[in-house]
Amino acid sequence: MEIFILAFFALGYLVLAGADIGVGMALPYLGRTPEERREVIAAIAPFFLGNEVWLVVTAGVLAGLFPKLEGELLSGNYPLVVALLLSWVTRDAGLWLRGRLTGRRWQSWWDGAIVAGSWGLALSLGGLLGGVLVGLTGALAVLPVAVLAALFGAHGLAFAALRLRGEPRRRAAALSGGAGEARTYALTASALLVVGVLAGLRLPLEPGTSGAVLVPAMLAMMPLMVAAQGWVWWTFRHRVTGPSYL
Amino acid sequence: MDTVDLARLQFALTAGAHFLFVALTLGLATLVAVIQTRATISRNPVHLGMTRFWGQLYVINYAMGIITGLVMEFQLGMAWSGLTEFAGNAFGSALALETMVAFFIESTFLGLWIFGWDKLNRWAHLATIWIVTLTAYASAFWILVANGFLQNPVGYRFDGNSLHITDFGAMVANPAAMVALGHVLGGAMMVGGFFMAGVSGYHLLKRTADLDFFRKSLRVGVGVALPATMVTATFGGLGFATLQPGKLAAWTGDAERAAEVQAEMTALHGPGYYLPPEEWVRSSALAMLILFAIMFLLSGLNFLLMLVRPVVHRFRAWHVLLVAAIPLPFLAMIAGWIFREVGRQPWAVHGLLTTRDAMSPISEGMMRFSLAAFAAVFAVLVVINYWLLARAARRGPDGVALGVRPAEKPEPVPAF
Repeated sequence: MEIFILAFFALGYLVLAGADIGVGMALPYLGRTPEERREVIAAIAPFFLGNEVWLVVTAGVLAGLFPKLEGELLSGNYPLVVALLLSWVTRDAGLWLRGRLTGRRWQSWWDGAIVAGSWGLALSLGGLLGGVLVGLTGALAVLPVAVLAALFGAHGLAFAALRLRGEPRRRAAALSGGAGEARTYALTASALLVVGVLAGLRLPLEPGTSGAVLVPAMLAMMPLMVAAQGWVWWTFRHRVTGPSYL
Repeated sequence: MDTVDLARLQFALTAGAHFLFVALTLGLATLVAVIQTRATISRNPVHLGMTRFWGQLYVINYAMGIITGLVMEFQLGMAWSGLTEFAGNAFGSALALETMVAFFIESTFLGLWIFGWDKLNRWAHLATIWIVTLTAYASAFWILVANGFLQNPVGYRFDGNSLHITDFGAMVANPAAMVALGHVLGGAMMVGGFFMAGVSGYHLLKRTADLDFFRKSLRVGVGVALPATMVTATFGGLGFATLQPGKLAAWTGDAERAAEVQAEMTALHGPGYYLPPEEWVRSSALAMLILFAIMFLLSGLNFLLMLVRPVVHRFRAWHVLLVAAIPLPFLAMIAGWIFREVGRQPWAVHGLLTTRDAMSPISEGMMRFSLAAFAAVFAVLVVINYWLLARAARRGPDGVALGVRPAEKPEPVPAF
């Protein structure tokens, strides 16, 4: 049951946050003018807060149920985790700060932070998945990094195609062709799940001793957490019709 | 500085920055939730405007809280894997529950509150801010359960290698955690109260056109700050009963007691130095107590002056004082935090694991690099955010972007 809980949140992160990270990576392609870019950001704005916490919970589950693995994973890959956190901070700062002032240079600077941070997140997550979990070294280690970045990018485009309108929507749909927007999203989501499961199978998943206390509490919380995420999707189920708060 | 000192500095900068933002977040979230409740019931435009203005300041501050919080979440496993390996099976459960019960729900509902302003029914929208507020409290609760365990480990067994839970109830009810919770929540309400009173004082000083708006806000801020100061002091006083002997000896300058602690710990753990740095412990405690005395007198004075309307509108020297007092509770929070955390050194888990043994095997060069990188990024973001916070506070209710209705609104089309 411990492994199921860890997998649930780690895979949930890949699928949910993979989409908003992908949109951040593709921001210069999707939005060519400042107005378009703001609308592209509106596509992920209500979602990114509720998405990124899936990785926070993944870290929490590791701390509670797999404390030994948590230490080995995070301290053993120190440079990659530092890169991941710096990218995450840069990207979030960009998202929060871009709309606080109206100047063009201010907004392009923080748009740049969103793009750089999103790419940094995809690459460092790819590095973690590749180096540690799949165990590739040398030139081959670039492969999983490229695969995950490409998957995040494609997944982001699929999500953007679902949420946007007009010209940005047409650009986002370039990859899926006539396959249908929801079907493309389902396909990229499944690919991410497969990558996540394959990587997870390589982890030494030996739970600690807190399961008896923690697992029942966690299982009780999970339906509430899924319902909260569901409420976000229900509230923001419509296509973007203009800029948001960010 | 050796690698352990660098790692401690990195943790202290992250945790200290996080603590300052979280204190204002906790205080302001509560005040915004109360104001929005009044606004939802009364539909009074002044209350609605107050919700949006103070909500905007809350959101600017919250962004920094979450950014530093993300880094916090990973710090323990990254730089202190000795601690997670030794004690993770005990106190890690509190961290895990914090992420699920608090962090996850708080973030998700904050998204709904910010972006759902004109999409949700007004009662549902009010529910989201209350959920955000209550989960912020839950976050403080579980984090202090984890911290309380490190300060005063209870409810565990030691199997020769690591700690395991035997009594989860005792771990949660740990006086080192629950007394600290009361103290920190009271402190957060002081931060929020002084902030709201100070910003309102600024606008009254500038002879604002929104007189009613800032008179009401000032009363909320001052009205909260006085009882919060008393609650904080009460729990702080109780906290002195749960201090580690070494911390107490350093604070009181009791050389005899300090020698006893040193002898006792040497007998148990072998040769070493087992006392906290006395200078830090004494000066931080002194700073905290002096700041408390000033704030206690100020909140009493503010409370009396607030009752007289002409004073609220025209006593300019008092308005200046209110603005000048905004940083005081922040400084007191940091001083108290230094007293609590430096005072338990050299222990990561008191009496069981030293800070030195808690560190991960990270090279000095790597630690220098990450410390420099995090410190640089946080410094830039802290400066920008406090500047934006001050700017938004100065501009007043007219410049608020939060909850603004879009100008043109085409009929939305379902995407999913």
